[in-house]
Amino acid sequence: MSNTKEIIARNVFFLSAIASAVMILAILVLMIALGIPLFKAGNFLAIWTGPWAPHKGLYGIWPMISGTLWIALLATALCMPLSLGASFVITSLGGPRLRRMLGTMVRFMTGIPTVIYGFVGIFLLVPLVREGIGGPGMCVLTAGMVLAILISPTMILFVTDSLLAVDLSYVQAAKALGANRVQRLLYVMVPRATGGMAAGIILALGRALGDTLIALMLAGNAIQAPRALLEPARTLTAHVALVKAADFDSLEFRSIFACGIVLYLFATTATVAVRVMLRKREVPT
Amino acid sequence: MQEVLEKLAVFLSWTMTLVLCLCLSIFLIYLLIKGLPSFGAELIFGKAEPLKVLLGQARVFDGIFPAMVGTFFLVLLSAVLALPVGVCSGIYLAEYASPVMKKLFGSLFDILAGIPSIVIGLFGFSLSIFLHNHFSDRFGPCLLISALSLAVLVIPYIVRSTQMSLEELPSDIRRTALALGATRLQNIAYVLIPNALSGISSGLFLAIGRCAEDTAVILLTGVVATAGVPSSLLSQYEALPFYIYYISSQYSNPAELSNGYGACLVLLGICSVLFMFAYGLKKHLSYRTLYRV
Amino acid sequence: MKKALFQIFVISSIFSLLVAPCFGEALQDFEGQEGTIKIAGGTAHISVMKEAAKQIMTRYKDIVVTVAGGGSGLGIKQVGEGLVDIGNSGRKPKPEEIEKYKLKMFKWAIDGVGVVVNPANKVQSLTKNQLKDIFSGKIDNWSVLGGVKHAITVYTRDEASGTRAVFWKKALDKENISTKALFVPSNGAMKTAIANDPYAIGYVSVGHMDETVAPVALDGVTPTLDNVKSGQYKIARGLYSNTKSDPSGLTLLFINYLFSSEGQKIALEKGFIPVK
Repeated sequence: MSNTKEIIARNVFFLSAIASAVMILAILVLMIALGIPLFKAGNFLAIWTGPWAPHKGLYGIWPMISGTLWIALLATALCMPLSLGASFVITSLGGPRLRRMLGTMVRFMTGIPTVIYGFVGIFLLVPLVREGIGGPGMCVLTAGMVLAILISPTMILFVTDSLLAVDLSYVQAAKALGANRVQRLLYVMVPRATGGMAAGIILALGRALGDTLIALMLAGNAIQAPRALLEPARTLTAHVALVKAADFDSLEFRSIFACGIVLYLFATTATVAVRVMLRKREVPT
Repeated sequence: MQEVLEKLAVFLSWTMTLVLCLCLSIFLIYLLIKGLPSFGAELIFGKAEPLKVLLGQARVFDGIFPAMVGTFFLVLLSAVLALPVGVCSGIYLAEYASPVMKKLFGSLFDILAGIPSIVIGLFGFSLSIFLHNHFSDRFGPCLLISALSLAVLVIPYIVRSTQMSLEELPSDIRRTALALGATRLQNIAYVLIPNALSGISSGLFLAIGRCAEDTAVILLTGVVATAGVPSSLLSQYEALPFYIYYISSQYSNPAELSNGYGACLVLLGICSVLFMFAYGLKKHLSYRTLYRV
Repeated sequence: MKKALFQIFVISSIFSLLVAPCFGEALQDFEGQEGTIKIAGGTAHISVMKEAAKQIMTRYKDIVVTVAGGGSGLGIKQVGEGLVDIGNSGRKPKPEEIEKYKLKMFKWAIDGVGVVVNPANKVQSLTKNQLKDIFSGKIDNWSVLGGVKHAITVYTRDEASGTRAVFWKKALDKENISTKALFVPSNGAMKTAIANDPYAIGYVSVGHMDETVAPVALDGVTPTLDNVKSGQYKIARGLYSNTKSDPSGLTLLFINYLFSSEGQKIALEKGFIPVK
């Protein structure tokens, strides 16, 4: 009797896992299936590399791919010094109380809703950039700055974790040899944690690539590949959010599935890269 | 030379930390200054009487009550949908899966956790159109579709937290009941799960917090500017994060804008409480679920 | 329990008796009805739709009216697909759209589309050619037009927008809009964006204009309600509410309400020209 129960339970658990896993593939398959009319309609290459001009029948998503890369890379670049600095203070430089406080602050930051960053960005940062630096205010720079703050907890938590996971015996050996805190951090911990740190940076980049609201609210959504930090841009994510307005059967609408596929690939690449890096330098949990 | 480099590294680290703290403080202070004045019953209930609204006798038009109720139902529904599947998958991964399966499922869930929420929103939207065209006219973007999509979004967190908190259990807890003759299932149900409860609930809180703050998914799956309190699973609804997004770009008067700041504070309060609660329950485990693949 | 219900009944009936004279005929037709009316599409309509929804929902607790934006293109498509009951559009649906979806159109107000700038901007009059050059990006600094020395920020709407369609056809004579233009999702968002950006230029439904933005005279004619009414200002359009085939039930009542004296009064209050 209890044997049947066992088998049933086992299967229920297994099926749940299968069901959730199938979702992941279903999402990709659905997007490819729905994007097919677009791929068939014209020059396949032009979808990825061409301009966006619906009234001329051009549905290239290159401006959006370029906008996404600009904003996400800028955000990651801005976030790196912030996060590495904060991680160094949290892991070695700060005193015990400060470390605890900073740790709590970073965890608190993970709970701040994206839309609120965007809201404050619109009313506080956009006018500052417009008057102080120039341009329309809603631009790659503004979105990149806010996004950098948004992704910083991801990077900090990850980098901190990998620094703290360095085998204590190395650190103590260095201490015995007379290395001070800074030296232990820079010459012992950091070199041994590079894999984990790189993984943290890529994970944060993945978040930046996938974020919708910040770019939608702060980057201006212009349909052009940006050429400067003060120019407006539209990300793939924002494009998906905006073009839902169009006709379901139209090629214009189908183009958002191309955006979805690109985003999916970006995200998956980032995830796989993180896993590979962590395997190289396994961080004990 | 080396000494200079070390000093520079220390100096830069402190400066950067300071910059980060400064950004966060400016952000929070600005929000408080702008939001606190609008804080009060009127922010939530507008000009309607709170008691009447709560009893369902009056409707709110210029307050955030419908959006709060919408978010509440959305979160509740997503949690109800995601929890059983997530916990069961987590149990499978921790207790039954072979190493190969573990690895395979592990990577799949990592990928799912990394997929941008707008893509999941797009999936939900396509699903609703599919249901509309092939099953019933009554389907369309709605509360149920949004909750389903959000459930997909947060399942990885629940799976991860369940799996990790089960795997974390020391082997003496794991073996005692088995040694006394309990079956594997009994052991899981009566010993392992109760012991892993704090980890699982911590994952649940994270998932709820994520559902409450997400805007991209609901943007595509049925949230609207005006809908009142949702009347059924198939109705469109209002939600707090969308309200904030909507106000940010199209407030029509200063009062609406200040309601927007108020709504920001409310949402920030809800989310930070949920997240801090999750971390309080199981500090290390929970943020690893969210920030580690 | 029974007593409490009775009390509520008494209080609410007294209340409704007191308030009843304020409501006219069309609203009373909703008496005893229940259900949901889903509205989406044109964003110029939203202010009127919201007010109408508020009037109906305040009085009748079993009726829910949901209002979403998305633009005229979306409104027409969604009502055609049966996703919503009423699809609004700020342009007349195209003949092929009418035929494909068997649309019934109800034009309940007239509106104009006017160019707006920030009130701080000194440039408040343009020729049509200047306007075209600004939107195509040929003129990119306000100093060229006698304003401050700062780059012009052009705001536009997406392809689904009826306001864009009308503006593009009647004001820009279908000439290009620069790819550098910033996008906003609705008339409300356009007004907010222009009000917050001192170097902005954009176009918005005349009904949405208020003191936070400054209308720009085009070839000497200012986009005001009066000029639209008199026909002097040419960039005008109707505001349509469309249904799939003949409306019935709640949807019909709602359309009727829009054409009733109260509905038309709401349209007037929100800055449009009622048709009746």
